[in-house]
Amino acid sequence: MKSEKTWLVAALVIILAVLVVVFFQSGAREVIRKSPPRTDAASAGEPGAPPDPDAKPTRKVSVFFVRPADGLLSPEEREIPASDSLIQETEAFLAELIKGPAGDLAPALPAETKLGRVYVTKDGTVYVDFSRELAEKHPSGTAAEISTVYAVVDGLAYNFKAVKKVFILVDGEERETLAGHIALDRPFSPDYSFLAKK
Amino acid sequence: MTNAQRALLGLALVASLAAAALAVPADQKTIVIDPGHGGLDVGARGKFGNLEKTVDLAISLKLKALIEQNMAYRVLLTRDKDIDASLENRAALANNNDAVVFISIHANGSFRTATGAETFYTSLTDMDEQTRKLAYLENNSSQLETRTADDAKDAVKMILWDMAQAAFIKQSARLAEAIQRELPALLTIEGRPSRSLAVENRGVKQARFKVLTGVACPAVLVEVAFMSNPEEEQKLIDEAFQMSVAQAIYRGLVGYLQAVGAKPPAPAPVPAPAP
Repeated sequence: MKSEKTWLVAALVIILAVLVVVFFQSGAREVIRKSPPRTDAASAGEPGAPPDPDAKPTRKVSVFFVRPADGLLSPEEREIPASDSLIQETEAFLAELIKGPAGDLAPALPAETKLGRVYVTKDGTVYVDFSRELAEKHPSGTAAEISTVYAVVDGLAYNFKAVKKVFILVDGEERETLAGHIALDRPFSPDYSFLAKK
Repeated sequence: MTNAQRALLGLALVASLAAAALAVPADQKTIVIDPGHGGLDVGARGKFGNLEKTVDLAISLKLKALIEQNMAYRVLLTRDKDIDASLENRAALANNNDAVVFISIHANGSFRTATGAETFYTSLTDMDEQTRKLAYLENNSSQLETRTADDAKDAVKMILWDMAQAAFIKQSARLAEAIQRELPALLTIEGRPSRSLAVENRGVKQARFKVLTGVACPAVLVEVAFMSNPEEEQKLIDEAFQMSVAQAIYRGLVGYLQAVGAKPPAPAPVPAPAP
């Protein structure tokens, strides 16, 4: 009787172990392209590129900042290094967004924000990880939070056709809200109603 | 929030709903007003040091008084003093009391000097659209209700609590329109229009507000004016401005309730007893 019980317990433990293994392995087939560790903050260099620094191809992007009068998002043209890698181009784009406006527009992100990793899934969802300053140094307020979210989301979708949705992470984690208002618990589709009409 | 936490929350909410249902007097309909922020969460900060949480509460208290003086509704505040309240508990208060309307009152903040009043209702993601279809199914199929096991029903409810607002999106849009229509015109002191109190009309907009997503009734968030704009900050702390904002929201609410065929306001200035 006693040994029967022991066997039963052992069997249950084995089943549990198998389930645990299955649980942790089941996600392995999901393809997530991870950005390679960046060598410098500007993320400009392409390690494998031909050694011709003068002829480096670039591409134009529209980076959105806040129009002071009405808080709508308005573009500034920037050049970023062209790349076959969507991740490298999106990182370069986001670096320009964090750098802030050159003209009369206002920044859309706190200046102290740093860019972490960028991930792209097969269905076109981009995960962008910002440092905690994105939330902690945020001025808070609905309009300001909308500016930040859609400068990122609309900016990425507007410049990169492959981008369908954007999930904003802070310090590697999902956050309830950016700074008390706008929910960050789901990926955003672009909403161009927050862009200024030309 | 993890799924386990969501599940626990869902269960807790369903349980408290059952408890609250017993406590509510028959036919007494409830309106929930949600003053933004509170406690450690101060909200937007003005240049002169005024805090959004204080203004939100002041306007909310005035709106509550107006509704109670003129209509036969019970009004609940998600906070009636300067305390912290989680965004989930704010939605839960509306759901547990079977509220007919949820109005969240805020003062705006921007990176620069934007001005004006705007009213929001929530926007839906693809995932929310799925929930909406589920909600439609639940609301329109009495067979589903009787056929499913209790466990399955609970599961459905839990999903709904997570994105309850999806089922009320159209009414929320109407409520937002009704309130926003009144906001730029609000600006009268004792019947006389006041240019000095005027705020710009920024219109009705949609965005994904955490505080609105779980509310199971028409729900809007009103951004009265910009705390981040020094001129509007001065208006926001003005009692007369706060009163005219409360009156404008009240007029919008009355307009909405009449449009959807709800109980018209009671004529008596004192709260009428429930019929």
